[in-house]
This record gives sequence, structure tokens and C-alpha cells, in this order.
Amino acid sequence: MTTGLVAPEHEDWRHFARKALANRSFLTGAVITAFVVAVALVSFVWTPYDVTKLVIADRLQAPTASHWFGTDHFGRDILSMVMVGSRNSIAVALIAVGIGMAAGVPLGCWAAAKRGVADEILMRTSDIIFAFPALLSAVMITAIFGPGAVNAIIAIGIFNIPVFARVARGGALALWPREFILAARAAGKGAGLITVQHILPNIANLLLVQGTIQFSLGILAEAGLSYVGLGTQPPAPSWGRMLFEAQTMMSIAPHMAIVPGMAIIITVLGLNLLGDGLRDVLDPKLRREH
Amino acid sequence: MLFYALRRLFLVSITLLVASIVVFAVLEIVPGDPARLMLGINATEDAVAALRLQMGLDKPLVTRYFSWIGGMLTGDFGRSYTYSVPVMELVRERMVVSLPLALLALILSTTIAIPVGIFSAARRGTSADAGVMAATQVGIAIPNFWFALLLVYLFAVTFRLVPAGGFPGWDAGLGPALASLVLPAIALALPQAAILSRVTRSALLDVMSEDYIRTARAKGLPANTVLWRHALRNALIPVLTILGLQFAFLLAGTIIIENVFYLPGLGRLVFQAITQRDLIVVESVVVLLVATVIVVNFLVDLAYGWADPRLRTR
Amino acid sequence: MIVPSPVLDIRGLSVSIGTKPILKDVNLTIANGETVGLVGESGSGKSMTALTVMRLLPHAAGTSGRLFFRGEDLLGTSEERMCQLRGDEIGMVFQEPMTALNPVKMIGEQVAEGIRWHRGASRAEAEDRARRILERVGLPESRFPLTRYPHELSGGQRQRVVIAMACALDPKLLIADEPTTALDVVLQAQILELLRELVAENDMGLLLISHDLGVVADMADRITILRHGEVQDEGETTRILREQKHPYTRKLAEASTHVPVWENAAVPNDGKQELLKLTEVSRHFPGSRRGLFARGEPVRAVDGVSFEVKAGHSVALVGQSGCGKSTLARMILALDRPTAGAITFRGMETSSLGEHELRAARCEMQVVFQDPYGSFDPRQTIEGSVTEPLHLVDKRISRRERRERATEALVEVGMQPADMHKYPHEFSGGQRQRLAIARAIITRPKLVVCDEPVSALDVSIRAQILDLFAKLNDDLGVAYLFITHDLTVARAITHDVLVMDHGRIVETGRTADVLDAPKTDTTRRLLAAAPDLQRAIERRSTALGG
Repeated sequence: MTTGLVAPEHEDWRHFARKALANRSFLTGAVITAFVVAVALVSFVWTPYDVTKLVIADRLQAPTASHWFGTDHFGRDILSMVMVGSRNSIAVALIAVGIGMAAGVPLGCWAAAKRGVADEILMRTSDIIFAFPALLSAVMITAIFGPGAVNAIIAIGIFNIPVFARVARGGALALWPREFILAARAAGKGAGLITVQHILPNIANLLLVQGTIQFSLGILAEAGLSYVGLGTQPPAPSWGRMLFEAQTMMSIAPHMAIVPGMAIIITVLGLNLLGDGLRDVLDPKLRREH
Repeated sequence: MLFYALRRLFLVSITLLVASIVVFAVLEIVPGDPARLMLGINATEDAVAALRLQMGLDKPLVTRYFSWIGGMLTGDFGRSYTYSVPVMELVRERMVVSLPLALLALILSTTIAIPVGIFSAARRGTSADAGVMAATQVGIAIPNFWFALLLVYLFAVTFRLVPAGGFPGWDAGLGPALASLVLPAIALALPQAAILSRVTRSALLDVMSEDYIRTARAKGLPANTVLWRHALRNALIPVLTILGLQFAFLLAGTIIIENVFYLPGLGRLVFQAITQRDLIVVESVVVLLVATVIVVNFLVDLAYGWADPRLRTR
Repeated sequence: MIVPSPVLDIRGLSVSIGTKPILKDVNLTIANGETVGLVGESGSGKSMTALTVMRLLPHAAGTSGRLFFRGEDLLGTSEERMCQLRGDEIGMVFQEPMTALNPVKMIGEQVAEGIRWHRGASRAEAEDRARRILERVGLPESRFPLTRYPHELSGGQRQRVVIAMACALDPKLLIADEPTTALDVVLQAQILELLRELVAENDMGLLLISHDLGVVADMADRITILRHGEVQDEGETTRILREQKHPYTRKLAEASTHVPVWENAAVPNDGKQELLKLTEVSRHFPGSRRGLFARGEPVRAVDGVSFEVKAGHSVALVGQSGCGKSTLARMILALDRPTAGAITFRGMETSSLGEHELRAARCEMQVVFQDPYGSFDPRQTIEGSVTEPLHLVDKRISRRERRERATEALVEVGMQPADMHKYPHEFSGGQRQRLAIARAIITRPKLVVCDEPVSALDVSIRAQILDLFAKLNDDLGVAYLFITHDLTVARAITHDVLVMDHGRIVETGRTADVLDAPKTDTTRRLLAAAPDLQRAIERRSTALGG
């Protein structure tokens, strides 16, 4: 990945805010993401209906005034299920990003500081992990440990590690030959201290942008895994699971598929817009042109 | 170039070796007793012992690994426990569905994405560019299996243009076989095309700000000619990287998509094998899929060398 | 003297980007076979002038005025017409040869491309012509086949390819935008000589853009001096430079020949204590791979170098780029280790010490880099950056004391104490170089290694920074090792000089002695190549008189 994100000029918060508010992608993405997170939080304390209660009499209703998004084949309110499902998606994707960052960033920084054999081993290991797409590793993990949200998190998280390791390594490698790093070395600072004081603050932007991308990919992956039954298990509602259940009802109740699908699309779209916006706002190369 | 290729080949063999060890370790060592896992807790001791013997679990790990990998290399993938047929046969049967599907999707996504990316880059800043970019932004966000459901609802259920699922086999003729692969391929390809066209566009725009583009303009070439002759090949490297990664995604994507369309492919095979705990099938098919990904990435590496002469001398 | 219809005639040209004016009412003419120098410091608008003539300005730029090329107004003409002119009748050479060529295309292809495009020549014909022009610019096919890729050539060779591309179709006007700024003095002299010959052969007009009055003085028939987008002074080179009527011209000329006045300018007496000593220091790098197992000969970047630096002395290390001077500097700073030999600093053998034992040595030895933009962490305040070397001081330093020392260092380099709360991007290049010097002296070191510390700066700023170096030598008694390819810097600020070539020291002595009476070819070559304003003026005067 070649990008000019490394080591942009310093920004104070007011400057950043002004830029961010002028960026349409960022603004739209931030609003959508905030909305989705808010819905997830609200679902803890309130949903229109109880998602665990089955009301067979109300089943397969198209959207009405009392059920805005209709009901499913057990008569559960789809709006409530989508609300509760958002928690799951966000939690799985967020923890997976956390795993990826926590393990990947130190590894990448370490490889960039050491170079040589350490670097080569890291890159080859990440090659190997990349050969197992998240879904495939999930397949292996669930084959042994059985399906479930925790295993989905592990599978997606493991796949995130080399992604962050490579981004961190790439950013750090571009910084190491810079003169301000040489000056820090001449000031007797070791690789660890330099990484903490100079490298990390300067690659934070890169990691932030990559974080939003992996977050949105995580949501898609979790939905996929739950859809094939390897992720979140019933009765916990999840968007992927809802789509699986909608499949057989497609011809009589298409809203069952459309609503959770739209929820996924909107969430992922929001995160992608946020990431794109952040990149533009933080990228010094673009800034100069304005 | 030869040296570059040989070095890559060496690295690929190492990667393949390690990947196979990982798969072996995860599926045969981590569970403790794979035979017990496959048969479930209700199985009799005799049945477990019989399966242990069939799988050769009594032999030392190293011997097992080498006989397994040796078998893989000579085309002997072992015997499926649930189907009671050689895994090789199953794989061969399923491969003729999955491989054409993945290739079709890859061709589709490339032929859509690259022209779209070039178009957008050439008209950057116009409303056409903005429209295309907004569409791709949405495209990326669409889960392929949901898109597949929608396609089935629209073209199979509502308009009855193509079958909703299943695969008639290649014996039924090229037409019907391809017809049943069209929707799955589109479902797989479009979200990938959205990503690829964005990458193509941004790679081109990055290259267009390079000094040598200005040099080419100073030679008297019009802006669009410069884009075709000078920018495109330089922009190819990030595009190739994404293409390589996408192949892996497409391959994995078939696991889900084949389930939506009830296609008897490798993805469905591995998925069914998991629910039936047929570890022998899972192990072989996973290694096969991983090997395919690695080989495709090797080809991408070779393509780098072709695209960028600077890499050849490394 | 009646000038026949000029090849380029710029009248009242103004350019602005958005609301920001870039050029204001610029007038400039170039006749056939004439070289006009366009001189100015960074931000003066000289590159913008070139891009305007080529009509390659960013889209947002607004232009007004007239711009005649052989009687044709370029500002009014169509883009199609411009495409016909570019590369055929108007050629352009850019500053940065390393990035000016397409990395994935062979050089023959790139030179032939313009020929085929404009003349509709067949591939064979175009390649034939490309072969001839490449031979003309000094890249004969026997040594540089058309199938070479840019990365297989050095910077100087790449610039020759760019010149070949620009001159392939015998343009009437050649625009060279800082064509030699990225090259060392010897390569610079060669490229300038090549341009001079091509102008004479083809009766081209040449617009030579440079920040260096010395370069232009040697080349140009006439000079135009630009500042903040406005023409300050304009006329025949000899007259402009001899009379120096315009105050800005005088300022530029003085700055580029500036020699600081300092107490220690006279060589400090010998017998002072030895500070740094190198004994037979070598650094070899493994050769590039030739095959699966074979490696090429190791590269001897530094090869058996021995010398001493005495306390308070200022020593220049001069040589062409690639001669090993930067590698040597890194070893002295203990950022790299020698393959063989020993480096002793204040009695400590730094080349064999571990990172922890090195702290005492590092405290006494600091560094100033070339690039004033790259030498500060953009995310740290100036206080953080400037006080970074205090990390080496063993005793704990309170926050207050750090502040005091930062204040002191900033004042010493002529900056304000309040500057410590700002971030690097708030300063100009010259100010950043002052800040870099503040960082280097904050631990009160005995030696400061300066790697091309003024070569990225405008001449007027350069003069100020040289003064600062001189003052700090007077005040603090700090010794310098100046690594440079610029002999005027060596002459201005150093007592002794070491001349380096291919990893070896070939000549040493008092700076004045060595530069006035060089004993080796390397030194003579460097001297002959160095642009020297004074010498150029004298040469022009005698030519005029005789």
C-alpha cells in the first residue's frame, strides 16, 4: 500500500474539526456510524417488542404501523431484531479489530525496527495467514471447536493481525530512514523508545483508517459466517442469521431479507465513508491541493 | 527475471509447506482424538478404534503428516468417512463447478472494474466520476450472499429467467450449465468489482501526479494518451495486488454462495463435511483451496515482475 | 543591436492560483541561439513561468498577458496545437532526474516515443533517431543500449536521457528548470556543458531556470531576476553582474559569495587536544546478487580512511556524491559500524562500544542534517524535538530545567523562546535549520557533524546559517565536520579540508592551501566544476575587454 498518510503535519483539534466538517464523506459516514452505534446502545434498554417472545398469530406480517419492518415466521418484530442484532455485529467486528491491532501493530513495528530475519519471518507468516481467507479459517476453527460468536471473533481477528502488521510495518519502514529518526538515534534513543515516541504517533492515522476498513469487513464477515450457521447461534438475533431464515421465505416475505440486508449495507457504507473521509482529512498530500 | 521467479518459487514452496503443517496441526493435533471428534460422544469404542485404524492415528505424528502430504502430492486424498468414496473423486466432481464459478466471477469483475476505474480516473472531478464512485461505495457495502438472495428473487422467482439453484451438470450442455452459474457469478463479482474499480481509479490518480507523467506531457502527448501509455502500466501493481487477494476472497466466497444456490461445489462440500464432521474431507479440501490461493498469488508475483522491471533485478 | 523576431516573447504575464498571485506582469524575451537565465529564490515563481510557457499549469490557475512563441500567442491557442508544439518545437528538462522517467519503460522507447508521435516515423526510424540523440548526449549505444531501464542508470545519466527526449526533434526553445540542482558539482558542470553545446549546434533559445547565480552567470547571455513573482532586474549578464545596480541583485550576489567574519577564522593554533581520530576505517557493503548463489564484489563505500579532528577545529569533507562521505559521517556518529578500523572520540573507541556505553560519547557529538523539512518529527513540539538530546544527560533533568536549556539554545540560534511551543510546519526552511542547530548544541557537544547543512537553502538564508555556524564556533568552541560537495561552503567556514573520492581520502590540508593549489585530479576536477560567481564575472569582463 503506497500512501502519503505517513507523517503528516501536526493538526490541532480545531483545525481537524474544521476540515472534517467540510468533508462530505466524513460527515455522512460519521452520522451513519453514530446512528448505528446509538441504535445498538438503545437496544440494551429498549426495543419496540421483546425479541425472545414468539407470537405465531402475528407471523410473516408485511410492514405495518405497529410493526414498522414487519414480522418474521415466528411473529417476532423485525425492527427489534435488527436493533438487537446490531450489537452482535458491532461487538464481533470491534473485538476482531482490537485483536488485529493489539497483536499486529507491535509485530509490524518490531519487524520494521529489526529488519532482516525478523522482518522476513513476519512477512512470510502473514503470507501464510493471507492464504487462509477469514471464511476458510473460520471453517477450520468451527470444524474443531464448533460454531459460535467467540470462534467467529477469533477467526476474523486472526485474519486482521497480518493486515495491521503490514500497515504498521509499511508506515514504520517509510519513517525509519527519515532524518528526525536519525536525530533521535543520535540522541541515544533505542528502537523501542523511538517507536513509541516517533513512529506510533506518525502512523496513527494510517492505523485509524485501516481500522475503519477492517471494522466494516468484520461486519460483512460476521454476517457471512452467521448466515451459513458458523457464527452467532440462535436464539441470539444476528443480521446474517436473519438472512438465512429469510431465504426460504423469500417468495412470500421478501421484507425479511431486505431489512437486515439494508442494515448491513448502511452500517458498512457508513464505516467506509468514515474511513475515506478520515483519509482525506488526515492526508497531507491532499491537503496541499486545497 | 529468472532469478526473481526462482526466488518467488522457493518462497511459495515454503509457504505451501507451512500452510499444510498448519492445517494438519489444527485438524489432527488440536482436537486430541480426531476419530472421537468425527464420530461424536455417542459412538462405541469399537467404532472409534476402527476409525482410528483406518485414519492411521496409531502411527506417530510425523509419519502421519508425511503419508498424508505424500498422498496429496500423488493424488491420493484419503477416503471420505461419510461418503465412503475417495476424496479425490469428490473433489474432481465438485471442482468442475467451483473453478468455473470462481473464474467466471473473476473475469466478470475484472472486465467491469478496470474500464470503470479508468473511465472515472479520466473524468475525475466530474459528476460522472462522482456518480460512479458513489455506486461503488454502495457496491462494496453489499454482502454477496444478500445480493445473491435478491438476484434469485428477481430473476429466478419473479421473472423466471434462470434456475433459482442447483446445477444440471456439464453433461446437460453448456447453455443450461452456464445459466445456472450466471447468478452466482454476478453475486460474487459485483461487490468485488466495486472494490477493484476504486483501486484502479485511485492507483491511476496516484500515478498521474508523478513527475514522469509531466515529462510525457512535455513530449507533446495529450492527457488521455499519457493515461493509456504511461499511467496504466504503473498503476497495474496495486491493481494486481488486489486481484490476487480477490481470488482468495472469491474462492472463500463460493463457500457461502454455493449454499445460496445449492450448487454442488467445493465450498458446499467442505461446508457439509463440517456439519458431518468428516475431517478427512475438510482437511484435504482446505489444503487444496489454500494451495490454489498461494499459487495464484505466485502468479501475481510473476506478473509484478513483468509489470515492473525494477523488481526483476532484486 | 536589433534582435530579430524572438523565439519567445513574454509580455505582461500574470498568473494566479485562486486569489493568490503567482506571477505579476512578467516580461521576458529569448532570441534564437540565446540563453536567458531566470534566477530567483524558492517561491519566486520561476518554475511557474516555465509551466506557463508549456501550458502545463494546474487547472485552477488563471493567466493574463501575452506569451508569443515565434509570433504565435500560446495563451490563446488550442490544447491540440500545444500538443503539437510540446516536445517538437518546445522541449523541457525538469529538476528531478530520478523521478522524471517512466520506471517501467526502456529509455529507447521513451526517447523514440516523442519522435514517433510527432513525425509519424516507423519504430525503426524513430529508434534510429533516438540512438543518435542518445549518443549525442553522451549515452552511446555500445555502453547504454536502448533497452536499459531508468533504474539501471545514475542520476546524471538519467538527466541526459531527459535532455535527449527534450532535444530529440531539434526544438526551437528549450526550457531547463533547475536541471542540475539535484546533481553534484562535477555532474552539474557536465550537464551544463552539454546544454551549452546543444544550444550552439541547433541555434535554440534556452530558458535556464536556477536559484544559483553562479550557474547562470557562466551560461546565460542575459539574466532576469525574479522575486515574489515580479521581475526585479533584467539585462545582459555581464552588465547586471558587474554593475549590480539593483539592490536585490546585489543582495543575491553578495549572499552567494558570502564568507562569514569570525574570530576563529584564522586557524586555531595547533597542539590543541585531539577530539576525533579515525584509523584505517572501512565500510564494505555486500555486492548485489548476480545469481542464485553468487554475489557481486562487495562495494567499498569507505576504504581505509584515517584522519583527525582537533577540538574547536572546523573541517570540511568534500567529494562527489557517492564518494562515501555520508557513510563515513554515519559511522562517526555511531549510527553505523565500520567493517574494519577504529574510530576514537575523546579517547573512547566508539566503533566497539555498546549502545549504553555510547551515551557519554553521543552527548558530546551531535548532528545537523541537510533536509530542514525531514529533520523534525511533525507531531512533536519544537520543545520536544530540541530537547531530545537531553535524553543523553545522565542526571535527571526537571521540566523547568529542560525549558531553560531549550530557551537558551533557541536564543543562541536567533529564535524566540516562545517558538518552543510551536510545531515544525509553522517554520520556514531556514528557521528549521536554525532549530536543528539548536537541537545539536543543547547538550554543549564538542563536535557537530553537519551533512550538507545549507545545500537545500536559498542563498540569502544560506549566508545567515553560515554566519550562525561561525558565531557558535566562536562562542562555544564547538568543532565541525562539514560534509559537502560545495566548495564555497568549505572555503567560507572551515580550517581544514579532506577530499574524498571512491571511499578514500585523496588530499588533506588547510582549506585555503588545498583549494588554491590542488595537488590531485579529484580536487582539481571539483574546483573546475564548482560554479563560482566571482570567476564567472572576471571571465566575462576579460572576454569583453579582449
